[in-house]
Amino acid sequence: MTGTGIEVTLKVREISGQNPFLCMQCGLCSAGCTGKGTMDMLPRQVMRLLQFGSGKLLDERSMWICTTCLTCTARCPRGIDVARVMEALRALNQRRGVSVLAPADLGAEILADVPQMALTSAFRKLSA
Amino acid sequence: MSIPYFPGCTLHVKAKALDDSTRAALAVLGLELSGLPEWTCCGTVFPLARNNYIGMVASARILANAAKQGDGRLVTVCSFCYHVLKRVNHAVRNSDEARTKLNDYLEEDYDGQLRVLHPLELLRDEVGFGALRNRVGAGLKGTRVACYYGCMLSRPAAEMDFGDPEDPAVMEKFVAALGGEPADFSWKTKCCGSYQVLNEQGLVAGRVKDIFQAAAAGGAQVIITSCPLCQYNLEAHSEADNHSRIPVLYFAQLLGIALEIPINKLGLAGRYADPEALLQGARR
Ligand code: SF4
Ligand code: SF4
Repeated sequence: MTGTGIEVTLKVREISGQNPFLCMQCGLCSAGCTGKGTMDMLPRQVMRLLQFGSGKLLDERSMWICTTCLTCTARCPRGIDVARVMEALRALNQRRGVSVLAPADLGAEILADVPQMALTSAFRKLSA
Repeated sequence: MSIPYFPGCTLHVKAKALDDSTRAALAVLGLELSGLPEWTCCGTVFPLARNNYIGMVASARILANAAKQGDGRLVTVCSFCYHVLKRVNHAVRNSDEARTKLNDYLEEDYDGQLRVLHPLELLRDEVGFGALRNRVGAGLKGTRVACYYGCMLSRPAAEMDFGDPEDPAVMEKFVAALGGEPADFSWKTKCCGSYQVLNEQGLVAGRVKDIFQAAAAGGAQVIITSCPLCQYNLEAHSEADNHSRIPVLYFAQLLGIALEIPINKLGLAGRYADPEALLQGARR
């Protein structure tokens, strides 16, 4: 995976099963996004870069901030499952060994405290 | 009546209170939950990448084993377990490819016909909210309850079949049956930040603050949830952001209070925001 231009778009389309070119840039996905305020690039902008075929998308942080809450998916008037697009971007990174969470990052205190489901879900979504 | 039940890893350890209160409250209503003889983690998250069947294997195995119980139903209460089991079940039932691949891998012959049920659905459909109303005391009368569904119960609507994806109503009807008053709560299906508690703490803090503010604005005296991770995230940030000191309980604990089950069976001790005021109301 070289991560250049339109290749990323085509790969995302294949892995997510979603067609980014259906997006009409209405911004409903961004408006309800859980990552609003934390993501530097909200889902509508991610969709736009996919349409342009921008290779730098794989280095953005939005996919790693996404909580897979499916609000975007529920709201998109074009029927795009935007959460699947975010997952495809994560998958492309995970497949080339890029991830953002490692067991060593977690302190003893939070490990003792946090429910098991948080560990399993976070590692499935955020580590390679 | 005994119904096959999948507790899941978190209920086995960190969220024992949800397991205990669910079993105790349903038992009082004549619904005995019998844990599956063998189970593993459900995998917690539904894989969103196409053809990621390996991410569905754990849930598919649980479903195939549950089907062998012969009841036709599987009850599970943790919002994550319910979400992933129900979606994998949907995939097995509706996609020839998913059914074939998962069965071939597991050497099973499961057709996806199980009904995966949340206890709120059991209360609505098996007990009946009308009958429930007649079983509870007057202890929660007028108590304002914020029904917090979070992100996992109602989306995606076509697969979860839990009501409107952003405005489900079953929990409010449940609260009304207990004699409580559902509070206006615009954040009821917003996400608490979920597993980002391990990666983006600031995001979780922000969402939790919004949730507490919305609950307080609606005059809520208690927030209820069926998700151990919502419960954890809300309680962990309570000190900073829960200015109204609204306790965060599992819906099954509220049900237990309404049914006057002794609180030591509901796992209610030692919380940050004390439910004592609620309990006093219930004891009156
Ligand atoms: S699924 Fe991800 S991108 Fe979509 S609204 Fe939720 S956090 Fe935002
Ligand atoms: S809601 Fe759908 S159509 Fe609107 S910007 Fe987002 S992806 Fe595009």
